[in-house]
Amino acid sequence: MRKKALLIMALGLILVPFLCSAVYAKTLKIGSMSPLTGSYASDGTDIKNGVLTAVEVFEEAGGMPGYDKIEVFPQDTACDPRQAVAAANKLLNLEVVGVIGAYCSSSTIPSSEVLDEENVPMITPASTHQDVTDRGLPYMFRMCGRDDDQAPASANFMKESLGAKTIFIVDDKTTYSQGLADGVENACKKLGIKILAHEHVNQGDKDFSAILTMAKRDNADVFYMSLQGYSPAAMMTLQAKRLGLKSQIVTQDAVFQPKYVEVAKDAAEGVYLTYGFTDPATPEYKAFEKRYVPKYGKIAAYSTYAYDAATSLLQAIKAAGSTDPAKIKAELMKLDYQGVAKHIKFRANGDSGSSYIAFKVVDGKFVPYWEPVGGLIK
Amino acid sequence: MAASFCLPPEIKLRKLNIMEYFIQQFINGLTLGGMYALIALGYTMVYGVIQLINFAHGEFFAAGGYVGAIVLAYLAGLGYMETHPVICLTTAFLLSMAYCAYLAVGVEKIAYKPLRKESRLAALLSALGMSIFLSNGMMLTQGVYDKIYPSELFQGGINFGMVTISYLQVMIVSLTACLLVGLNLLVFKTKIGMAMRATAQDKTMSALVAIGSNKIISLTFAIGAGLAAAAGIMYGLYYGSVRYDMGFVPGIKAFAAAVLGGIGNITGAMLGGLIIGMVEIFAAGYISSEYKDVFAFIILIGVLYFKPTGIMGENIDDTRV
Repeated sequence: MRKKALLIMALGLILVPFLCSAVYAKTLKIGSMSPLTGSYASDGTDIKNGVLTAVEVFEEAGGMPGYDKIEVFPQDTACDPRQAVAAANKLLNLEVVGVIGAYCSSSTIPSSEVLDEENVPMITPASTHQDVTDRGLPYMFRMCGRDDDQAPASANFMKESLGAKTIFIVDDKTTYSQGLADGVENACKKLGIKILAHEHVNQGDKDFSAILTMAKRDNADVFYMSLQGYSPAAMMTLQAKRLGLKSQIVTQDAVFQPKYVEVAKDAAEGVYLTYGFTDPATPEYKAFEKRYVPKYGKIAAYSTYAYDAATSLLQAIKAAGSTDPAKIKAELMKLDYQGVAKHIKFRANGDSGSSYIAFKVVDGKFVPYWEPVGGLIK
Repeated sequence: MAASFCLPPEIKLRKLNIMEYFIQQFINGLTLGGMYALIALGYTMVYGVIQLINFAHGEFFAAGGYVGAIVLAYLAGLGYMETHPVICLTTAFLLSMAYCAYLAVGVEKIAYKPLRKESRLAALLSALGMSIFLSNGMMLTQGVYDKIYPSELFQGGINFGMVTISYLQVMIVSLTACLLVGLNLLVFKTKIGMAMRATAQDKTMSALVAIGSNKIISLTFAIGAGLAAAAGIMYGLYYGSVRYDMGFVPGIKAFAAAVLGGIGNITGAMLGGLIIGMVEIFAAGYISSEYKDVFAFIILIGVLYFKPTGIMGENIDDTRV
């Protein structure tokens, strides 16, 4: 009898450390979803790094009251809707309080449905398709701009700055790229720019010579290239220049990646892109740059948006003083501050406003070139 | 360098007319078809000799592209690229073809030779496994990102009216033609080629007249992979970068080309490659670029429906390798 009691006590002692860790080391879990493998891995890694930086800064500034540490669970979506849904389910099992992601609109839309059922707030740093926030999900937020703002901005730029009268549009049939290309087509029609053709290629295509020859035959003023990711865009640009296409090339935010210029090199010179405006002179941006660049290298496309998204989420949780989704949402809606990428103020539908301007590739760099209100940027 | 992309100023901009459009698309098709033909040859030669569809063949093509990228990057780093571009390119082609030939011989020894007496299904599965192994091996060693080719080579092109033929296309088409002619000479005019054809027809009989079938099989793999490696470098130069998974789609298309031409037949594979490349480009240029692959495979199904052995394929044929 005494032996048995001792045994139970011993077992109890063994369990003590486990109980302690469960009770005392309280961890706040947040998820990050982005493509970490495949063609969009570079953009996806930027997003993950942005989130990690935000958590680091937040913990240094005092961390989350009531928690010992904040842990980030980065998930790979590979820009594949099925993998994105699986990643969302995995994050739900880990009981995260919020998610930053995903990158491709075609991943964000299905995975947000899963997260929303469990009332987990999701802030996308990069998905620009209008349906991301237009479906009316209560816990869906967006840090970047919308394609139905990007498309008219792009069309206005082509008309006002490039004086375009005709346009040749190509997309690669993803939710994002085709949605944006359709938007550009409509916006151009409204402005009286003639659509010579709207063609589609497939994701994973490498040879664009046939379609580019078609574009060369039609010789439009603008060749609008809506492709998902820098890699096919760089190949298309190289082939276009080699074929002697003379149309001005205009493209969009998914191509806004330093790697685009690295691959396309001289062929990318003079290409125009639309992307959200970020003022690099703000103290917030400079502080971010100082911290991010030594650790992860160049600030590419979406790391700033991911940083702002994660910071907003953490601040809202701190202000709410709980992980109750309704309270977090209420605090998110109250936010009004200057972030790294932009000024953050969420609207009722979860959007935070667009600020699209046109950039031009000059000497291998993206240089701000034109903005909707003031015209050319000197 | 940016200026070299532009057309000469004396050419006035205008739209391409119907004829120019056709010619431009024809040249595009010739370039693509040439690359498919080079890859298709490997499938058809191996099939001719040991009746195996070598699904790892697309990976030899990708490996060739990688070796080329590494060699060219190394030479560019030493600064030889600007002074001796032709020598650099020749070195890259030779090293990459040699590497892939060696790789293919190794793959054959490890994955196919032990299964030669087993059912053909076992060897086929082994080939699929090898393909996955090689492609993931490249991903792990070279990373998931695109490897960039130096694009300074062969910039600009020749203009005939509004038709532009880039120097790169000229290089690819002429080098492909040289390799194809060279292969034809090797197979049909030399003793080694005769031994290869003999092994393809009957391994036992050819062994009786002192032809070592193991050596011939290794040689077939080596030649096929060498041609695929050359195609890999051309691909890298033409599209600007290579990726670990780039072997898959061209591999499938080249396999279709080999079947279309009559698998086992060398001339058939060349013809099949050109047809698949042309159909793809013309379907994209005249019908729909979304469904270009569909048209390429419709042609394949159509031909096989009326002639199941392919265009040039016959059941017993002394041109088989």
